[in-house]
Amino acid sequence: MIADVCSQLHVQPPPPVVESAPTAVDSPSDHELMIAVRAGEVDKLGELFERHHGPLYGFFVHLTMDRTASEDLVQLVFYRILKYRHTYRDEGRFSAWIYHLARKVAADHFRRTNSAPVATDPDDLQAVPDQAPHAAERAIRSDDTARLHAALAALDPGQRELLVLARFQHLRHEEIARLLDISVGAVKVRAHRALRELRDIYFRLAREQPA
Amino acid sequence: MNCQRVQESFLDYQDGRLPPVDSAAVREHLKTCLECQREWAGLQEITLKMDRLPPVAPSPRLRAQFYAMLETHRREADSRSPFVLMRSRVDRFFSALLPARPAFQLAMAGATLAVGLILGTRFLRPAAPAATPDPATTRELAQLRDEVRKMGDLVNSTLRPQQSANERLRTVLASYDVPQSNPRLVSGLLNTLAFDPSVNVRLSALEALFAHATVPEVRTAVAAALPREPSPLVQVSMVDFLAATRDPSALATLETVSRGENYDQAVRAAARRALAQL
Repeated sequence: MIADVCSQLHVQPPPPVVESAPTAVDSPSDHELMIAVRAGEVDKLGELFERHHGPLYGFFVHLTMDRTASEDLVQLVFYRILKYRHTYRDEGRFSAWIYHLARKVAADHFRRTNSAPVATDPDDLQAVPDQAPHAAERAIRSDDTARLHAALAALDPGQRELLVLARFQHLRHEEIARLLDISVGAVKVRAHRALRELRDIYFRLAREQPA
Repeated sequence: MNCQRVQESFLDYQDGRLPPVDSAAVREHLKTCLECQREWAGLQEITLKMDRLPPVAPSPRLRAQFYAMLETHRREADSRSPFVLMRSRVDRFFSALLPARPAFQLAMAGATLAVGLILGTRFLRPAAPAATPDPATTRELAQLRDEVRKMGDLVNSTLRPQQSANERLRTVLASYDVPQSNPRLVSGLLNTLAFDPSVNVRLSALEALFAHATVPEVRTAVAAALPREPSPLVQVSMVDFLAATRDPSALATLETVSRGENYDQAVRAAARRALAQL
């Protein structure tokens, strides 16, 4: 498998960067919508919800490994946006603000439940009864996906958050650096370490539980 | 480029963010370094798996709950009182006025403190010290304080039961030297007259009270103490005191004593004489 990937590497250079690649989180008018919400047009929050609730849900699911709790946490983020809308600054970036709120909500959640998600045995994941089968649930059934989820859950919470922000939420390194209040270089180094750690855990699980 | 630098550049290389020169260097390095090839392959595989993870979607419950929350908020906002509206406007005004960044907040707090200190040192004068009284007043004040202290000591010592009769007598005699009529001194003497167990001390107290006979309270107190006095000798002296003061209000007491069967003969005779004088 590795050899296959290696052989591909030299032939296919990485694709050129697309600066605003899957920007599920930010767009020019998010800021304008939020300014309107701040001015009292709370209906505009519905538009922001439609744009951001999906990515936010993904953020919480990958962070907490708990779908039901993640829905509640997304709801809580939008509740806080509504409650603290007057603190949104004119020069503020909406994506940075919403992830700032989301991180606080997640931290509160972990404090309340008094634990970060623990590493899950992929076999246990398969054994979970499937009550609401849809695409994502069916995917979890596959060994590979379950193993990757288990490896993610086994990561240090800080590393997992960084990977989720960079790989799933597609935030740029500069945005993550501002959010975590660290340098861009530190983000790159930590992201690289987190990926290596995830890879090691993943392959260890694959060795322990071959398909 | 060494292996460590190459591996640290992998994420940027993967995202196509490396400058062309560095990108070419990484490619060249990967062609020859087996260790980095393995590292790069593992990294590629795990990121590929992450990218292939199926997207997760929330249930319709989330959307329903959100819009219910929005509706609740809208209803509450519609029924908001003018006071709350005004308060939210004031909050918004201050949030727009005051800096949001902590560094600016700190700078603003420092500037406000500095302005306060400058204004305070420039416009506020220290309070003027209290005017010192002139030497004559000071002297007089000290004298009065000393006198009051002496009086207090005198009265206290008069009332102290553990003193011997001689000491109490001496104390009463010392009060003869006090020229002015002092309420605490008079009160002490009247207490002695009423409660001291020694006849001699009571007689001395009565004698001392002659100096204060002009005070109506003294005359009333002596008239009141007369029926309760156990010693006929002191009673006769009290009757003489009342006769000497020529106080008409003492007539009732003297008449009662002159007719009272339980009084000594000598006392009744003295009362009759006093009545005749009055």
